[in-house]
Amino acid sequence: MRKSIQAGIGLLALVAASAAPVAAQTPWLHVRVEEAKDASKVSVNLPLTVVEAVLRATPDLIESHGRIHFDRAFEREHGRHGLKLADLRRAWKELAAVGDAELVTVESEDENVKVVRKGDVVQVFVDHKPRTDKEGKVKKGAEQVRVEIPVSLVDALLSGEGEEANIEAAIVELKKRRGDIVRVQDDDSHVRVWIDEQNTQASAPAGK
Amino acid sequence: MVKLAILLGVPIAMLATVASLGIVVVDVREGGPDGNHIVVVPVPLVFAQAALAIAPMAAPVDKLRVPHEAAEHMGLAREVLEALAAAPDGEFVRVEERDQQVVITKQGRTLKVHVTGKRENVTVNVPLHLALSALPGEDGRIRTAALAGALSSVRFTDLVDVKDGNDHVRVWVW
Repeated sequence: MRKSIQAGIGLLALVAASAAPVAAQTPWLHVRVEEAKDASKVSVNLPLTVVEAVLRATPDLIESHGRIHFDRAFEREHGRHGLKLADLRRAWKELAAVGDAELVTVESEDENVKVVRKGDVVQVFVDHKPRTDKEGKVKKGAEQVRVEIPVSLVDALLSGEGEEANIEAAIVELKKRRGDIVRVQDDDSHVRVWIDEQNTQASAPAGK
Repeated sequence: MVKLAILLGVPIAMLATVASLGIVVVDVREGGPDGNHIVVVPVPLVFAQAALAIAPMAAPVDKLRVPHEAAEHMGLAREVLEALAAAPDGEFVRVEERDQQVVITKQGRTLKVHVTGKRENVTVNVPLHLALSALPGEDGRIRTAALAGALSSVRFTDLVDVKDGNDHVRVWVW
C-alpha cells in the first residue's frame, strides 16, 4: 500500500515537473511605474502574445503587416524628412563589425548621454543633471535613464526593407529576451520595463 | 384534488423549465434615509435569446451595424480578444492610488475588472467568448444569433456587482 502511494506521489511529481517548464515558458512583459508624489503605483503584466496582438491593433503606428515606415512616420511627426532607415541600417552593419565600443558620448551642462555596445546589448545611459533656479534652489532633481537593447532586437527591427522597421521580427526577438529593457529613475518616479516568465511582479519593485 | 394538482402542476412545471434554461437577474437595492428600495428583475435567458435571435428581423439593418470607422478595427479587436483568451491567467493591470485601486485579472476565459474606491466597489466579469460573440463581423453587422448562443454559456456567472455607499446593483446569470 505504502509503495503504491509512493509510486503515485512520484508519478504526480514527474507530471508536475514536466508540466512546469511548459507553463513557465510564456514570456511576460512587465511595466512598473511608481510615483512618490501621487503615491501611485501602476503595474502592467502582459503575455507577449497579447502585446503582439495589441501592436497589430495600432494601425497608425504599424502601417502594414507589422512594419513601420520609418521615414513616413518621422515626416508625419515632424513635418520634414528625417534620418533614413536605410542609412541607419548601413551604419548599424558597420558598427556590428566594430564589436564592443562606446558609440556615442555627449557631455553638456544639462545632461550626459552615452551609448555603448557591450557584448550582445546596446546600453543607453542618459543622466539629466538637477536643474536649479537663479537662487540655487533645485527646480527638478536628477534623472537617470537606462535603456538596454539587445543587439539581436536591433538586427530584427532593421531586417525590413527600404524604410520599414520590422516589428514582427522584433517581437520574435523580445520573446527570447529575459531581463530589464528600460529603467528610468528621477527624484519622484521610477519606471521599469522588463521581461520574464512570471505572471506577477510582486517581488520586483521598480526602484530596486 | 387531482384537478388542483394539475392546475398548480402545469405552471410550476413551466416555471421550472424556464428557470432551468437560465435566468438573468438584475438586482437593485437602494438604501437611504427613506428606507430601502429593492427591485429584482428576473429575465428568463430564453426570452433574451429569443429577442436577440429575432432582432435582425425586427430592427432596421443600420441599427444592428456599428459605424464604418469602428467596423474597420473589429478584426484587430477580435485578434486582441483571441490573444487574451489564449493567454495564461494572471494579473494584467494593477493601479494603486491614494483613494482608488483598479485590478484587471484573467481567470480562465473571464476578464475580471475590480475597482475599489473610497465609497464604491465595482466588479465586472467579462466572459471573453461573450465579448468575442458581441463583436460584429467584417461587414459591421452585430451577429445577434451568435450572441444569443453565447449567452447560455455564461450561466452561473456574476456579470456586474456595484456597491456605492448604501446602493448595491448586481447582474448575474443563474
